[in-house]
Amino acid sequence: MKEQREGIVEDIWRVFSSMKLGLVLLGLVALVAGVGTVFPQVNLDPEKAKEVGRIWQTLGFTQIYSTIWFRLLMGLLCINLIVCSIQRFQGIYNRTFALKPPESISTVPNKVKAKLRGEGEPLKISVQDVLQRRGFKVTTTEGDKGWSFIAIKKRLGNWGSLISHISFVVLVIGAIMGTTMGFKGFFMISAGTTIPINSINVSRGTVKQDFSVHIYSAEDRFLADGERDNWYTDMGIIENGQEIIRQTISVNHPLTYKGVTFYQTNFANGVRLTADIKDHKIPVVLQDRGGNYFQAPGTELYLIVAAIKSDPQKPIIQYQVYKGKSVQPVQTGQVSVGQTIDVQGEYKLTLEGNAGFTGLQVKQDPGVIVVWLGCALLLLGLLLSFYWRTMVVLGVFESGQGTDGELTMGAMAGKVAGGVQEEFDRLIHDIQAK
Amino acid sequence: MDQGLQNLETSSFYVMLMAYTLCMIFYWIWIGTKNVLMGRFATYLTITGIIANTAAIFLRMIIAGRPPLSNSYEFLLTFVWGIIFVYLFIEYRYKLRSLGAFVMPVAFLILMFIIMSMGPEERIAQAIPPALKSKWLTFHVVTAMFSYGAFAISFGLGIMYLLKISEEGKGKKSSPQGIISRFPALDMIDELSYKVIGFAFPLLTLCIITGAIWANYAWGTYWSWDPKETWSLITWIIYAAYLHARLMYGWKGKRAAWMTVFGFAAVLFTFFGVNYFLPGLHSYAISQPNIIA
Repeated sequence: MKEQREGIVEDIWRVFSSMKLGLVLLGLVALVAGVGTVFPQVNLDPEKAKEVGRIWQTLGFTQIYSTIWFRLLMGLLCINLIVCSIQRFQGIYNRTFALKPPESISTVPNKVKAKLRGEGEPLKISVQDVLQRRGFKVTTTEGDKGWSFIAIKKRLGNWGSLISHISFVVLVIGAIMGTTMGFKGFFMISAGTTIPINSINVSRGTVKQDFSVHIYSAEDRFLADGERDNWYTDMGIIENGQEIIRQTISVNHPLTYKGVTFYQTNFANGVRLTADIKDHKIPVVLQDRGGNYFQAPGTELYLIVAAIKSDPQKPIIQYQVYKGKSVQPVQTGQVSVGQTIDVQGEYKLTLEGNAGFTGLQVKQDPGVIVVWLGCALLLLGLLLSFYWRTMVVLGVFESGQGTDGELTMGAMAGKVAGGVQEEFDRLIHDIQAK
Repeated sequence: MDQGLQNLETSSFYVMLMAYTLCMIFYWIWIGTKNVLMGRFATYLTITGIIANTAAIFLRMIIAGRPPLSNSYEFLLTFVWGIIFVYLFIEYRYKLRSLGAFVMPVAFLILMFIIMSMGPEERIAQAIPPALKSKWLTFHVVTAMFSYGAFAISFGLGIMYLLKISEEGKGKKSSPQGIISRFPALDMIDELSYKVIGFAFPLLTLCIITGAIWANYAWGTYWSWDPKETWSLITWIIYAAYLHARLMYGWKGKRAAWMTVFGFAAVLFTFFGVNYFLPGLHSYAISQPNIIA
């Protein structure tokens, strides 16, 4: 029974240590990822995703990257990469740190090969000297018929493949940390407003922090040539009644506090108004194009700003007032800065000036740092694999008559023979010149 | 001043177009006639083309006051530059002029695409949305330029390999007068193609990583499965599969050559296909000046 169980474990291990499985899984990931670009995805285009046939939605084609089977595919690929890496670790270690000189000529690589004749001892000194001068670490050993050596250069290159494979697992761990820990949310508020961070709309996770954000100003700045410069938000972080940080953020220049990052992602024009209801003055900030509304207390009147001409000197708004659930507005008109109008005899409304609305994406993602670590490892692994290729030179000297004999030398660079020939030829030339 | 520079940029573009078109024709004539002078003309015209191409890029940079990497036209200009730069290096280093006959049509077709599908208003310097004002964009596009350029070269080598092997497969020994006789040995084409991909693959990885860093700064999301991101990953997977299949299973020669062709098809789809058929976050890549973030 125990043997049977061990047999099953071995079989599973064998399956997962197969490079073929890895390639098939990679191919499937590419295929599924490609299908996901044809179907509108909920995270990118929720409206279009809803228009896709119900069957496709049920099968998960509109949120393909978060389906269980896509995650399973990634999980299997990770297991495959881990098993392959464990399997290959010993071999790479031996090829890097436990190199043994060849015992016979038959183990000298065939593709890049040369034979040198000469006296045993002086030839050995020449070989060692030339190789060490060219940055090789040389190991020699004496045998019955003569001596042999093995030399290695740029040995870290051997680890490139392992590092880049492991990096993929690190990336997946980072992504999992990002989706299971932390949160992602968004808020859009006007200048002059304070919002507790735990009251914002979140699309993922829950906000555990309890500080507040105050928006001092939100601006849509333009350059002298009329080109948009950037959106700027002057914001402060308030904790326990005290302002901890005050900073201006813009697109591509976020602010991070206690692991929570604020990204400038949106902006809308707005205006400051004062509603005077029976001598009770209420400040109101409304967003352009009906982004929000004001319901005067004690009434069924809803006020929106349909359009804003946000001239810094003389802003003008186009307003609409709706009553109850009416589809048609009961009052419309224009108001310029400083002007006061009467709304349905219920209250007075004065336009005070412009006010920007800033849209901030808020995110806490403890996995990001792990993702960057994975990216760094991936890049390091690839650089070692392709730009820092290990070169191994080895040879066997067999004595003939007297002290003379023949040295058979060969070279290899990882699994590739190409490109080694030139350097090998230079080595042979130097050895012969000695 | 700006109008003068604008005119100069337009002139550089047309000089470049003429030079690349003529060099393509001269490479074809050279490969067919073996006339040394024709070959030299082809190379000189390519050098003229890349000088004009560089001038067009620099002038655009001066006019726009930013790296010229923010819309389809600007990226295609740099993409062509990347192809020609890598090609000239290969021609110089490996004395492989015949490759020009297969690489230049790629550059020519990209330029034709600009001429046919982009009006003058799309080619002039435009205002860019705040999201594109990032130094990471420069790294992102520069790495794309070199890696895509190198993949175009591996595509040319793949086509050469497939033509040569198909000719030899028919039992014909390449005649010393034949076009195929201009091609280097099959092993050399195959090995060179691998080297070029070995150079480009880490750059493509860097391109994807710098894109992720930039997206994280701009939108707070390093990966959103946007179609362009996804297709760049698919391209990456195709070349990763090529490298694994080659190193582990000895997939060389014909199968490897076909993979370089598929890989480059994915590169082109990542750019053209995604921009024009599957718009997503990268929608600004199509010249639309008013799209924000």
